[in-house]
Amino acid sequence: MARLRDSLIAVLKKIGWRGLSTLVAIVFSSTLLIPSLTGLYTWLSPFLMLNSVLALKSLVWLNGVGCVILIISFFRKRWFCRYLCPTGLGCDLLSATAWKRGISVQKIPKIGRWLALISLGSALMGFPLLIWLDPMSIFNGFFAVFSDNISIPTLLSLSGLPLLLMLHWFFPNLWCTKLCPLGGLQDELYELKNIPSILKPGRQNNSKTQAEGRRLFLASGIGILSGVILPGWVKTAPAKWLRPPGSVPYGLFNLLCTRCGSCIKACPSQILIHHKGNEDILAWMTPEISFENQGYCQANCNLCSRVCPGGAITLFTTEAKPQLSIGLAEIRNPEDCLLARHTECDRCIAACPYHAIEISPSPVTGLLRPVVNETRCTGCGACAAICPPVIIHIKNTASPGKKAVSTNS
Amino acid sequence: MERRSFLTQLVLTGGALSLGVGCGREIQPGTQKIAADPESPVLGDKKMILEPARQIPVLAETDVLVIGGGPAGAAAAIAASRAGAETYLVERYNHLGGLWTGGLVLPLLSTHAIDRQKKARQVIFGIGGEMSQRLKDLGMSISEVNPVIDPEAGKYVLDEMIRESGVKMLYHTFGSQVIMEGNTLRGVFIESKSGRMAVLAKVVIDCTGDGDIFHWAGEPYDVMKYHIGLVHRLGNIDRIDTGKTGYVKMDVGSPTPLPGVNWVNMHGQDDQDGVDMLNLSRLQMEYRREIWENVQKIRKTPGHEQVFLLDTASQLGVRMSRMVEAEYKLTLEDTMTYRSFDDVIGISGAWTSMLYKGKRVSSQERPLWQIPYRSLLPKKTENLLVAGRCFCFERELAEDTRIIGTCLITGHGAGAAAGLAVKEKQSVRDLDIAKLKQLLLQQKAWLG
Ligand SMILES: Cc1cc2nc3c(=O)[nH]c(=O)nc-3n(C[C@H](O)[C@H](O)[C@H](O)COP(=O)(O)OP(=O)(O)OC[C@H]3O[C@@H](n4cnc5c(N)ncnc54)[C@H](O)[C@@H]3O)c2cc1C
Repeated sequence: MARLRDSLIAVLKKIGWRGLSTLVAIVFSSTLLIPSLTGLYTWLSPFLMLNSVLALKSLVWLNGVGCVILIISFFRKRWFCRYLCPTGLGCDLLSATAWKRGISVQKIPKIGRWLALISLGSALMGFPLLIWLDPMSIFNGFFAVFSDNISIPTLLSLSGLPLLLMLHWFFPNLWCTKLCPLGGLQDELYELKNIPSILKPGRQNNSKTQAEGRRLFLASGIGILSGVILPGWVKTAPAKWLRPPGSVPYGLFNLLCTRCGSCIKACPSQILIHHKGNEDILAWMTPEISFENQGYCQANCNLCSRVCPGGAITLFTTEAKPQLSIGLAEIRNPEDCLLARHTECDRCIAACPYHAIEISPSPVTGLLRPVVNETRCTGCGACAAICPPVIIHIKNTASPGKKAVSTNS
Repeated sequence: MERRSFLTQLVLTGGALSLGVGCGREIQPGTQKIAADPESPVLGDKKMILEPARQIPVLAETDVLVIGGGPAGAAAAIAASRAGAETYLVERYNHLGGLWTGGLVLPLLSTHAIDRQKKARQVIFGIGGEMSQRLKDLGMSISEVNPVIDPEAGKYVLDEMIRESGVKMLYHTFGSQVIMEGNTLRGVFIESKSGRMAVLAKVVIDCTGDGDIFHWAGEPYDVMKYHIGLVHRLGNIDRIDTGKTGYVKMDVGSPTPLPGVNWVNMHGQDDQDGVDMLNLSRLQMEYRREIWENVQKIRKTPGHEQVFLLDTASQLGVRMSRMVEAEYKLTLEDTMTYRSFDDVIGISGAWTSMLYKGKRVSSQERPLWQIPYRSLLPKKTENLLVAGRCFCFERELAEDTRIIGTCLITGHGAGAAAGLAVKEKQSVRDLDIAKLKQLLLQQKAWLG
């Protein structure tokens, strides 16, 4: 026992807490492991957590992890950065080997604090603007490429982290000290302790605390304002493609999605891909359901919602799944249905977990074909996947909110 | 009044019937739990009367008794008899082949699948393969993969094979109740124009399709409500005049080996109880009317005047009903992963697509799959084997396991096992699997 502890301490001393955390983060982010663990490490980020909770005005129990870290960073300056952040470790390592000692970033203002406040302000209005800048999701996104086909979004997702790290050859310490909104948020929190003293009458305000108050006011103001202006802008245009079940409304999804790729990695049917942005640049890299690889959304699965750290995919139970719509099954060439040719077949009926398919003769031709019950069909794609002559396709329903999204937590 | 006095004449005391049969041992009829299926309007909450005990003649004491003469039953009886066992085959109708012939379900599906080298190959051999080959030799089968046969030729070929192998055939006879000694099945009561009789046997094979025998024996089982159809045939298809003014292409089914004759499948109503005779009677009449009216519509369509209804099937198309709980439940996983079993009795093929691990696997990609002997061996009842569409498998598999090709394979396996058990004086439960496989190979089965 004692030896084990000693050797553990020795290892820890060598790689440090942050090194250990990075190892864990890699394990959780890679696709090789149990899908239900995929991306869980991103839930540690208090920045992500606050954005998501403020925007959705609801909590899921996993948010508790972020809350704890939030509370700790209130008492210990940048505790998360020092002990847990895998991205930070990378940045520091590269800063240490910086090219010709690099360009000093001293003069650059601490943009991260502004970013954090702006994002939280807008999140409060329901539209988190900068959630995608979270270092944990950038880290996690790096591994997404291993579970999706190579495309521009996956390559970008892959290159995000290396690019960020390489920047530190030229600008050592740039990200952590100046840009990172998660770091900025922690700074704000730590300094929040000073606010009571600022407000204390009779005490002379120094310029530092003044600046603090101004930033708090301005940044969150900008955030809130954009949260007010944005809705009209982002709510337009319903999705022309399919999103995972339990997805929040289209525009909000684009903001709430951290692009971490966890859902894509977790999906056991591998029907989630990165949206290529060809339909809507704002939805770039968010998850899209593609039935091209002949998979379907399994009735007993809720993994995408369980791993989504931002809450873009609302956590749902498998019992709630019949209420969660992806799209709608559509029969494209009924005359090619095997039943129309009197060949024994029942595949679509047997495959449908929601009893949404019936066989009946066409009133026009008299030929048998499947008929989809639109209130029961969720567009899971099982019938489309199994159909021997491939005549069933999943179309996008014009109103994505057709079925009430249950906010089960 | 008259009826009531008749009822009072019946013995009203409880207890099991006792019969002195054979060497004086006490043999009891199986415990059919009348109230077991509360959903069935037939067996639901009905007034009960007690049947008086009576002496039943024993028609025969045989080695092997097969109930039901469908693809499974015919193959089973032939295999058992060829293995040297005295074999009786009981069939309620006037023909062999079950739904394949009398049900007019003419395509023998699942004859092929993909092997480990990813090549499509034939999998149905043995007695089923022989039937198929003989039909082909008669020119009464079209297409190599999944052949479509002529039903009368099918009945004829099966009759010939039964005759040649020396099986004792009992047509127009219904297997009606089981004769139990504890958990051991000793024989079956049969009903016919000659009255109620008993056939005692060392091994009974349930090939009724609906599992009548294991149901009466009190074996646990699952019930699958499924769609039931009625197949029919049309004649004069070759006389359809496509050049006629006003001609519209009508739906007239698919070709059979007979010129001008098509068979027309019916999906039928979904979620139907296949062992509820009130329901079966209702469906039979509704379907017959539906078919008649539809054919009249076809005949009124320009160009189709000569088309006529040749026949509706003499067996209603019950696809699934009871499925026995046997020693092993074959799983979808087994059939998708080339799972090999030590007690393999045959290999079947694939004819349709399935979902596996969240993905489509089309019929052209689907592996061949082994069937273990244990899936034919009921958990509780001794001396009983189950073959045909009611053996033991996961529901997801029904679309493959109920198919004629698979029924021929399970029938052959069960028949050979029964024959061997009699020869070796062993129970079917303790059978020497190596010897069984040897016998199956001798009978030209393919075990991979
Ligand atoms: C409409 C329809 C279409 C189908 N299409 C195809 C197809 O295209 N290709 C394919 O391969 N399969 C098809 N199938 C499935 C296949 O035909 C059957 O599942 C198969 O014939 C079952 O064989 P079996 O021997 O288990 O039972 P059955 O064929 O049902 O035979 C059982 C026999 O036992 C007799 N019997 C039952 N109970 C008793 C009793 N108590 N006493 C005495 N005799 C009894 C019956 O009269 C019958 O002859 C179809 C089925 C249906 C209904």
